[in-house]
Amino acid sequence: MPDESDLQRLYDEHAQALFAFLLNFTRDENDTRDLLQEIFTRIARQPALLRGARDKRAFLIRLAHNAAIDLIRRRGTREKYHGQLAEEMPAIFAPAENPDETAFRESLSRALAELPADQRAVVHLKLWENLTFEQIAETLDIPPNTAASRYRYGVDKLRERLRPLYEEIK
Amino acid sequence: MNTDEFEKRLQRQPLRQIPAEWRTEILQNAVPAPNSSSVIRHSFLSTLTSHLSALLLPHPKAWAALGAVWILIFALHVSSRDSVPQMAGKTQPSSTEIASNLRDQEKILAELIGNNEMPTADRPKRLPPQPHSERRETTARA
Repeated sequence: MPDESDLQRLYDEHAQALFAFLLNFTRDENDTRDLLQEIFTRIARQPALLRGARDKRAFLIRLAHNAAIDLIRRRGTREKYHGQLAEEMPAIFAPAENPDETAFRESLSRALAELPADQRAVVHLKLWENLTFEQIAETLDIPPNTAASRYRYGVDKLRERLRPLYEEIK
Repeated sequence: MNTDEFEKRLQRQPLRQIPAEWRTEILQNAVPAPNSSSVIRHSFLSTLTSHLSALLLPHPKAWAALGAVWILIFALHVSSRDSVPQMAGKTQPSSTEIASNLRDQEKILAELIGNNEMPTADRPKRLPPQPHSERRETTARA
């Protein structure tokens, strides 16, 4: 069992990133909370898991990704369900004061939700975690070329989807 | 649309903050409470005690009397169980007694018969089986 202060430090350093990744990946606040709980409970019970990790953030995101995939598989048609109920998605971006920015963030959130989960994961890690394709490949256990192609496909779709709004507010 | 510009624009979008109240909940749930098994055992015992006291407290004298009756029954049962082997031991005759009784009974039987034991000479002798040819001769002579 790790020291409680170690677990608190781990939470303070990485929980925000895990939260954003999981919320973008699952598109469900309750699932995100359950998965975060699962990850920290696992680490509290098996502290040896983290000892061998070179990059704790990457290791934790990998844990989160695997746990989220397991959850989605258990639920079966979750992806389809989220695609159909895009209007009810939780906000994944911070609220903006500018109405144009608010509209852009909402549109971006919807466009991200329309991406396949594997593309969405790569786009998130590249754009908001600033990971290289090699790091993304290692984190998600995929080849670097696959990570790069998924990112390119994902960003192209976002660009297409957001072009009118982007041109307008640019 | 410049690709780099678009991607930079996406990168600048601030992600939503994790709810502050989650921290306490998640960390508390992640670390199991110390001695949870003893807490469970203690709560089980206290529940049992409270149930028993709730059952017994309304009529303590009646329950005490019932308990005394059960103790008396148990004591009687134990004492009667101890006495049974002694009685059995007393009634069971020894092998020498049985032998002497048998001898007495034989004597009485002999007296009743009249003490006229047949002389050994009168007793029919058992002959060993003879060959068939000799048997035939004996029968013919008779």
